[in-house]
Amino acid sequence: MKKIFLLLVILGFCANFVFAQNVDEIINKANLVSYYAGKDGKSKVKMIITDSQGRKRNREFKILRFNVKDGGEQKFYVYFEKPTDVARMTYMVWKNLGKDDDRWMYLPALDLVRRIAASDKRSSFVGSHFVYEDVSGRGVDTDIHELLGEEDGFYKIKNTPKDDQGIEFSTYAVWIDKNNFMPMKAEYYNKAGDLIRTIEALEVKDIDGHPTVFKSQATDFERGGQTVMEFSDVQYDIGLDDNIFTERYLRKPPMQWIQ
Amino acid sequence: MIKKFMEYALNKPKVIISLVAVFVVLSLTQFVRIKVDTDPENMLPSSSSARVFNDEMKKEFALYDILVIGVVNKTDSNGVFNVKTLTDIYHITDDIKKLDGVIASEIISPSTKDNIEQGDIGSVRFNWLMPEPPKTNEEALHVRDEAQDNPMFHGTLVSEDGKALALYIPIKRKDLSYEISQKIKTIVKKYPSDDKYYFTGLPIANDQFGVEMFKQMAISAPLAGLVIFLLMWFFFKSVSLIVAPMLIAMATVLITMGLLIAFGFPVHIMSSMIPIFLMPIAVLDSVHILSEFFDKYHVYHDRKKTLVFVLDELFSPMLFTSLTSAVGFFSLSFSPIPPVQVFGVFVAVGVLIAWALTILFIPAYIMLMNPKRFEGFGLSGKEEKSVFLDKILGVIRIITTKYFKPVLVITVILVGISIYGISKIQVNDNPVRWFEKKHPIRVADKILNEHFAGTYEAYLVLDAKDKEDEVFIEPKMLHYVENLQNKLLETGLVGKTTSLADIVKKIYYELLGGDKVNNVIPKSKPAVAQCLISFENSHKPDDLWHLTTPDYSKLNIWVQLKSGDNKDMDKVVKYVKKYIKDNPPPKELTYNWAGLTYINVVWQNNMVGGMLKNFLGSFVIVLFMMLFLFRSPIKALISMIPLTVTILFIYSLLGFFGKDYDMPVAVLSALTLGLSIDFAIHFIQRTVEVHREKGTWEETSKEMFAGPGRAIIRNALVVAIGFLPLLAAPLVPYKTVGFFMFTIMAVSSLATLFILPAIVSLKPSWMFEENNKALSCKCSYCMLIALFVAVAVAYVLFGYTTAGWKPITFISIGIVVMFAGICHMASKRKICLMEEK
Repeated sequence: MKKIFLLLVILGFCANFVFAQNVDEIINKANLVSYYAGKDGKSKVKMIITDSQGRKRNREFKILRFNVKDGGEQKFYVYFEKPTDVARMTYMVWKNLGKDDDRWMYLPALDLVRRIAASDKRSSFVGSHFVYEDVSGRGVDTDIHELLGEEDGFYKIKNTPKDDQGIEFSTYAVWIDKNNFMPMKAEYYNKAGDLIRTIEALEVKDIDGHPTVFKSQATDFERGGQTVMEFSDVQYDIGLDDNIFTERYLRKPPMQWIQ
Repeated sequence: MIKKFMEYALNKPKVIISLVAVFVVLSLTQFVRIKVDTDPENMLPSSSSARVFNDEMKKEFALYDILVIGVVNKTDSNGVFNVKTLTDIYHITDDIKKLDGVIASEIISPSTKDNIEQGDIGSVRFNWLMPEPPKTNEEALHVRDEAQDNPMFHGTLVSEDGKALALYIPIKRKDLSYEISQKIKTIVKKYPSDDKYYFTGLPIANDQFGVEMFKQMAISAPLAGLVIFLLMWFFFKSVSLIVAPMLIAMATVLITMGLLIAFGFPVHIMSSMIPIFLMPIAVLDSVHILSEFFDKYHVYHDRKKTLVFVLDELFSPMLFTSLTSAVGFFSLSFSPIPPVQVFGVFVAVGVLIAWALTILFIPAYIMLMNPKRFEGFGLSGKEEKSVFLDKILGVIRIITTKYFKPVLVITVILVGISIYGISKIQVNDNPVRWFEKKHPIRVADKILNEHFAGTYEAYLVLDAKDKEDEVFIEPKMLHYVENLQNKLLETGLVGKTTSLADIVKKIYYELLGGDKVNNVIPKSKPAVAQCLISFENSHKPDDLWHLTTPDYSKLNIWVQLKSGDNKDMDKVVKYVKKYIKDNPPPKELTYNWAGLTYINVVWQNNMVGGMLKNFLGSFVIVLFMMLFLFRSPIKALISMIPLTVTILFIYSLLGFFGKDYDMPVAVLSALTLGLSIDFAIHFIQRTVEVHREKGTWEETSKEMFAGPGRAIIRNALVVAIGFLPLLAAPLVPYKTVGFFMFTIMAVSSLATLFILPAIVSLKPSWMFEENNKALSCKCSYCMLIALFVAVAVAYVLFGYTTAGWKPITFISIGIVVMFAGICHMASKRKICLMEEK
């Protein structure tokens, strides 16, 4: 009897272990699919920020991305086109794992390049309802993942930050498409258990064999308001040079890639 | 018809008493629906343009009603900027975020606000001001230094002296503020320390007021009842007899309040005073009936016969004194301030209810009493007679009849001085001062305004005519705003202002490396725009939209005033008006004010103008009624003199002693007219009657300063002392009302006793020239009446056009119809028909 009980415990433990393996595998795949498609990539973005009163603001910019290591470090370059007053502004982000990102910006009207010390990745991305982490991806090791189940062709995964210092949510749930591992929806909850924000992929198309988000939306349920990002002119493996992701190119944008 | 009712009351007393009981019970059932309204915004109709604009701006700039919690530490040399206090504040903020009704994302606390500062290796850093509790004192002081250096926080979040902190808790609805502040107090108790937490902000003050209001009603109203009971016992020495007026007072209060609640009106600071106004007034008529019954019972030795005689005798004066009182209160319904309208109309209703109850209930009650109790009534002179009172009355008689010229000269001089005093009156109100000095709210208010730039908020909204060109990020417009802000500080009334210009300057110099030399507005519009988009990369980019709109066509300057005095806000408003007129902005704009501190100014201005109109209006109507009553223009005018002198004199005291002309004082001015005319009515009517018997003024005056003089003083005492229990109320407006009503009643009774006899002595024919001709025979009189009717009609119509057609209007029209009905019934009385023959 005792032996049977012990066996059951061991079996249970193993099952859990296998399950946990699965969760991390799913998360890793999803991370690669959503943020690391190709060796590099570029895209044009139109951003429509709508506040709780329905007031809209538009921004247009180009994004260049370069993978230093698949699933690891990445570099981003953002070139602003609209509104006119901020045209030619550039941002650069070196995404690091396990430590803070490096960020720079160039303000043409002040002719000023400044390094930005980002103490966390949860600050707003240029005033929108997306945060930096939504754009560049949240490190897979920063959360504890838990597979809640499978529903309607999605894996539903609960994620709890290992360290909640400076983070406005307490958990979030992600729905990942079982077919192509694209995360389609994320729901963020606060300590009281209220839904405070969602991120959704509204439109996914296939480009060169990579499932690609063409329209996504971030909604703020606390203050109200949402931001829609529309992607166009998406290209992968265009042969970007690591060199252009340096301070020098902030002032002098690599026009061949952003036009 | 009225006579029939009264006869019915005499014959079927039980029916009448059960009917009254039914009404009282019905009214009591309404009390469960009671609603309380302590929001000073409701001093303005919800449709008023100032309120509409305020609501729009609150929405447009995401402004909320805010509870302010000041944290002060006196033991640590760095004040609250030590590890323990900041750690407590960190956890307290976290707990507050979870409370229902708190807008967690908009809390202003060191741990919820983003800061821009210099980072390592020449970087600029966007970070939470206090991302985690500090571990060392250096970290605690770093929080202070960064907050001091940020125009958004200096003088707001952190005190100017760097020792105290204030948390700003936005709430969803103002009426939650008391409840939420209680919950926060419980949270604070979980973290014991030397720190003191002070709660303030207008929403707390208002909500707290509601709580104290009920205390007032629970203390002052019963106390007034007790005082009146004791006074009457002193006059009549028969408990079973004076129970009747007490019951009438209670029934009147309960039915009136029941009606008020049944009509769906909330109990406001004004309407909470209805019981205390009604109680003494309700008792007055019964005092007359009982007095007469007392005197006449020995003549008839029959309750019914005595009552019939007494009621007929007193019907007309009782009706007129009730009507004038009702008119005084009723005139408030034309005030532009809704709670004052409600108060006026319902006290007027209450006065009429009291009148109806008196002529029905008192006879019924007497009929039900044991007849044995009446034996010996009137004969032994059980009625209290004061030698002292009679002596004083004698002295007054001699002064006013022998030395009438000096009396009149002194009166004229007094009027002159009073008018000068009134010219010095200062109009001002401040909801925080509604509390007594030692009240926690006043203490918190004082301490926080010592440490911080000011806890009274107003918003100056600039609106550019050009909606397309993002006007307010143009450097020349920001310079204009910056100058305006500097000028506001120079007035000394404003502790701090915050605008987009401050944010832009802060971002600009931090981006350029943190050197304060660059604490200026950048030179070009793209530069401003790029500074702002940098700011938008913070945790709280939406903070920008408290100060401007996303199209940059509107700008909100947040003005913090040191005091909540309306007169100070008023000065700031006038200053800005003049400044913008003298210094036209580079691009055309309109501007307007929002915020509770400003709303208070708007209704105050309405109140002053409105109350003056009410006063003049009720003056005209009362004068008209006196014309009708005395059928002589000269008597009517004379009857108005004592109370006019009294009111002038008392209001001049405000000017001389520097007491503010605030809401309660303003309201009192109109309604005291209707109450204090009673003395003159009684005096003149009795004088004329006595003169018919005695023939000379000399003899008449002797008689007048005996019985009727005593009656006037007695009535004055009942009303005046009846209001004194308000002094026991914990809230200042109630005390003011108590003191004022006491003084007005006391002074006007004395003024009546001095001035009227003096005038009669000057020219007795004014009073005693009998007037037998029909009204229409006297041309001047007829014209005067026509004039007053015209003025009264114009006044009433004007009142409705400004007050608008609301439920209260229809109730008041109903009352007019009721008045008409009473007049009709009164005119059909036997006496009237006989006189006509």
